[in-house]
Amino acid sequence: MKTLVLGLGNPILCDDSVGIRAAQEIGKKVNDPQVTVAETSAAGLSLLDSIVGYDRVIIIDAIQTEKGQAGQIYRMGTEDFSLTKHFSSPHQINLVTALELGKMLNLAMPQKITIFAVEAEDVTSFSEKCTPKVEQAIPEVVKMVLEELDA
Amino acid sequence: MKKITIDPITRLEGHGKITIFLNEDGSVANTYLQIPELRGFEKFSEGRPAEDMPQITQRICGVCPEAHHMAATKALDDLFHVEPTSTARKLRELLYSAFYVTDHTTHFYILGAPDFVMGPDAHPAERNILGVIGKVGLELGGAVINTRKQNHWIIQTVGGRPIHPCFGLPGGVSRAINEEERAKIEEIARGSVEFGKVSLKVFDDVVLKNKTYLDMILSDAFTQKSYNMGLVDKNNKVNFYDGKVRVVGPDGKELCKYAPREYLEHIAERVEPWTYLKFPYLKKVGWKGFVDGKDSGVYRATPLSRLNAADGMATPLAQEEYEKMYSTLGGKPANFTLATHWARLVELLYAAERLLELSKDPEITSPNIRNIPTAKPDEGIGIVEAPRGTLTHHYITDEKGVIKKCNLIVGTTNNYAALFMSIKKAAADLIKPGVKITEGLLNRIEMAWRPYDPCMSCATHALPGQLPLEVTIYDAQGNEVKKLSQGI
Repeated sequence: MKTLVLGLGNPILCDDSVGIRAAQEIGKKVNDPQVTVAETSAAGLSLLDSIVGYDRVIIIDAIQTEKGQAGQIYRMGTEDFSLTKHFSSPHQINLVTALELGKMLNLAMPQKITIFAVEAEDVTSFSEKCTPKVEQAIPEVVKMVLEELDA
Repeated sequence: MKKITIDPITRLEGHGKITIFLNEDGSVANTYLQIPELRGFEKFSEGRPAEDMPQITQRICGVCPEAHHMAATKALDDLFHVEPTSTARKLRELLYSAFYVTDHTTHFYILGAPDFVMGPDAHPAERNILGVIGKVGLELGGAVINTRKQNHWIIQTVGGRPIHPCFGLPGGVSRAINEEERAKIEEIARGSVEFGKVSLKVFDDVVLKNKTYLDMILSDAFTQKSYNMGLVDKNNKVNFYDGKVRVVGPDGKELCKYAPREYLEHIAERVEPWTYLKFPYLKKVGWKGFVDGKDSGVYRATPLSRLNAADGMATPLAQEEYEKMYSTLGGKPANFTLATHWARLVELLYAAERLLELSKDPEITSPNIRNIPTAKPDEGIGIVEAPRGTLTHHYITDEKGVIKKCNLIVGTTNNYAALFMSIKKAAADLIKPGVKITEGLLNRIEMAWRPYDPCMSCATHALPGQLPLEVTIYDAQGNEVKKLSQGI
């Protein structure tokens, strides 16, 4: 099963880098020719370009929810995301629309997409480090993704 | 006084909040556009080597990294007092043209077209690219994806990395291209020219042949008579990569044409207490408030402004479309905000034609891609046209090239005052006493600002880091009824 682990985010925007940081750690620990680990700052339609051709995709990104606690980790399938206004970069279209577009155009879409989202505290300040609770969540989400890969 | 809030604003980058205050009778008293975000980029860059700026600034936003990369690269040329080689200039413009093809395609089909193709009264769930493709057909949908994908390949190949090029250097670029790459770029460019023509035909079929839309484009509700800004080459034709900044008034007369080094003589920034964003305006005209007209220093920097500020397009097919556009709109300059979507497509075609021209240039595969700087750095200014408007990077460094001070005026910042006015005008013209406010009406107000394709993340980039947010509601007597705040 061709798998892509994709860390999304902005590496210089504080907690928005969490997906990228996690992917960097996962990349060091994965040694399977069927698994590609990548990072990107793309979103929406550009994301579609990245995931086409894989059977399974695991995405890691920052999220901000109304009542979430910084560092909290959520595991979701795409059906959980239809109402998100802010996924990675809201400028383009959200992930779910991108996926539906891919299906509509008969592109080789992955059969399984899992998203690990880390609740962010600060996604508006320029910084190369995350806030403490989010930093602490990085090894945790790495572990969860590695377990997901083994499943 | 009733309060209506449109929040979140769909299909835009970052946060934005439009608040409309109504009178007792249901008419609009006032409208405010407020950006609560603060980013702190200038502070973040202090102490860093200026040569890192093309890499760093392109991270500000995932949408137009190439624009920041290019402006930063040109600022470095200026900072180190070095001219790029002829091949380097052409490679930079080639990459930049491919970028424009991707960016304008994305905006039109994903952000702008849904309003027109589906109609402003369509259900929000349909007012997106899926609805658009449902109407224009799967083949065109595939062409949208493909054009973007292929031009992204050009950016990656020429720029050295997907999305975030590692390409610009003071005096040149980091890699040359070979004949195999060049041939593929030429092939992609030809396809992109065809795609540009098709997109203009879509606009013609769906928008211009529909009287309701054409009337809306020409309506007073979406008209604004502000100054127009854009980069022009030595023939006063639109150029995205290089040239002088030309400003033309709503009456069509040139106000000024300046080189990057002179920008502070022409542009000042106004601070207003109700927002963290600063409003650039034309110094020579002066700040007269949020009003249009040739006595107000408010200006616009958008695809339409660029076409208004220039005397034409430098490539033949785009020039034909340029002439057709102005003939339909009743001459130059065109002050119809919604026509920005049309201008964007003319620019898309130009970018594709320019890409093709450059791909066939005999110098384009030359290995002579860099002049090594020898002078000491001190101050550098680089200006390009970002898709969203004129982008200025200004660095002041010590003699080792370490940033002491940095000022960026990004595309959307130029348009902030005009944006505010467009929304206010659309609100006042469309929300009237006794008229039921439906979702479609609210989307019409958003339609006033979507032509600007605003990127709010770029537009607010100053300290401090906390995120203050305040919502205030006043009754008809002006008494504060409720105040909610966070971080204050």
